[in-house]
Amino acid sequence: MRYLWFVLLWGYTALWAVDATLKIEKDVEQRSRIALIDGSALGNQTFFHILLSDFKISGHFLVDKIHHQGTFSSNYLLPLFQSREYVLKYTFSQEQGSHLGIRLLRVRDNKEVFHKSYTIPSRGKYPFLAHKAVSDINHFLHYQPIDWINRYVVFSRYTTPRKSEIVLADYTMTYQRVLIRGGLNLFPQWADKKQTSLYYTSYNEMLPTLYLLNIYNGRKEKVLSSEGMLVCSDVSADGSKLLLTMAPEGQADIYEWNRYTHQKRRLTHFHGIDVNGKYLAGEQQFIFVSNRLGSANIFKKALGGAGVSKAVYHGRNNNACDTYGNEIVYISRESNHAFKSNLFNLYYTTLSGAETKPLTSTGNNQFPRFSMDGSVVQFIKRRGASSSIGYINLKSHQSLLFPLSGKKIQSIDW
Amino acid sequence: MRISSITLTLATTSLFLFTACGQKVPEAPIDPNIRPVITDPNAFTDTPVMVNEGMDANTTSSGSEVITQGGRSIDTSRFNSSGNGFRSIYFPFGGYGISPQMQARVNQDAAIVRSLSSGRVKVEGNCDEFGTDEYNYALGLKRAKSVKDHIVAQGADPRRMVIVSFGESNPVCSTPTDACYSQNRRVDLRLVR
Repeated sequence: MRYLWFVLLWGYTALWAVDATLKIEKDVEQRSRIALIDGSALGNQTFFHILLSDFKISGHFLVDKIHHQGTFSSNYLLPLFQSREYVLKYTFSQEQGSHLGIRLLRVRDNKEVFHKSYTIPSRGKYPFLAHKAVSDINHFLHYQPIDWINRYVVFSRYTTPRKSEIVLADYTMTYQRVLIRGGLNLFPQWADKKQTSLYYTSYNEMLPTLYLLNIYNGRKEKVLSSEGMLVCSDVSADGSKLLLTMAPEGQADIYEWNRYTHQKRRLTHFHGIDVNGKYLAGEQQFIFVSNRLGSANIFKKALGGAGVSKAVYHGRNNNACDTYGNEIVYISRESNHAFKSNLFNLYYTTLSGAETKPLTSTGNNQFPRFSMDGSVVQFIKRRGASSSIGYINLKSHQSLLFPLSGKKIQSIDW
Repeated sequence: MRISSITLTLATTSLFLFTACGQKVPEAPIDPNIRPVITDPNAFTDTPVMVNEGMDANTTSSGSEVITQGGRSIDTSRFNSSGNGFRSIYFPFGGYGISPQMQARVNQDAAIVRSLSSGRVKVEGNCDEFGTDEYNYALGLKRAKSVKDHIVAQGADPRRMVIVSFGESNPVCSTPTDACYSQNRRVDLRLVR
């Protein structure tokens, strides 16, 4: 009898040990099945893969990975496409610039439902043709917008000790163009939603100096200088206010700077480290990284208030964060060993803490950044000697990685 | 005794079942077909311009021997990346206090600052590459401030010193080892006009 009790107890424990959480994923059947047919005179594998990545990361399509080739102008479709919902026929060329023509065919009746052509004088910016085409198709089919794929990514990378470059890129990093070269220029941050200007910190003078650069006419405006360090970590939605990490008295704290009145107000008063301020929804509160409890963690504070409280309760060392509304993505250190393979992981949470979940589980993951619509998280992953830029669609859980060659990335904005 | 064995086995099995469950996040493979391309800036009207800053920051001279922290004895004699007769100060992982082993160096640097009749001293904080850059810049700044405060406490004029943090941007070595990381966790001092 006692043995029977032990068996029953064991069985109960075993059942309880099973993860009984039921997670509802986006049903793959709700995504549109689409195939791509390349009608170009010269097939281009790189362009095909960019289209593939765009469709995949949108979260709205199940895209056929085979690089089909066929006639652009014909509506005839081979029987093998009958299991698809749509077929995208395209023609891409790079004679005197870059040109893309697209035709979206509905498979059930072989009917063209959408067509468009794109031309730009630049050969180098051709990835943006693919991004624009996919976002237009997405819009035509009345799916949630994915305009973020059309945006520039700006990042700084170290070239040699005390030297860096600031680079403009598309989200796949296929297009890259150096914007600022010479000396040490770091922490680029877009100044406006249209991405016409950006802030960056220059270390080429006696004191760290914040500049505002118009990327189209090259006009550079000195914003302010600060002894110690100076970083623009966030910009308000209307572009009028900046959250800065400054140290005018040798102490790194968060400040808010008004671009038009040139007034600054100190938001944190702590003798340790306060950095990485990010506005929360409504811009009356912000979160930041601080070591005020002994190790780096994420805290929140009202802009006009005095009280500071923890924003993240998971993890023992959380040293970077980004926000979208009241959603937070942050980096948590997983190991004390400096050279372990999985040191930092991305986590997602909300201000209420109701939903905290890991977004990565391998490699060293840093620089979390929400897309402009909050649907995708960008990050940098390092595995051994190689690094890549990654994107995670928070709704569909689709993820992509693009290899990064060259020097180490210092900071990134999107 | 048989009951104890069964109990132990059941407990071990249950523990195994508890710890075996965990969330796994699917990882995407790296796409080998997408390669970053540096483009030619031949532009149409809305192509961003390139700004040539043109100024190079001061270069440093690197030391030749590793210094380790955390209780072990430190050979400071052959390791220095400061200029103008100053000696660099080294720090433990994540720390920004002046250790007893570094006090002699701080005293020596303070003596030089006190003796200056003109010019200023730039106190440059540096970090290893572990962790995120903005946090590391602040940590480097704490190190620089710590050194400055100790030098001021020995009678140096604080107006003669300016502190700056270079975070992880100014390594003297780049191999991912404890020995190299400890070289990069430092404050350098040099004269500026």
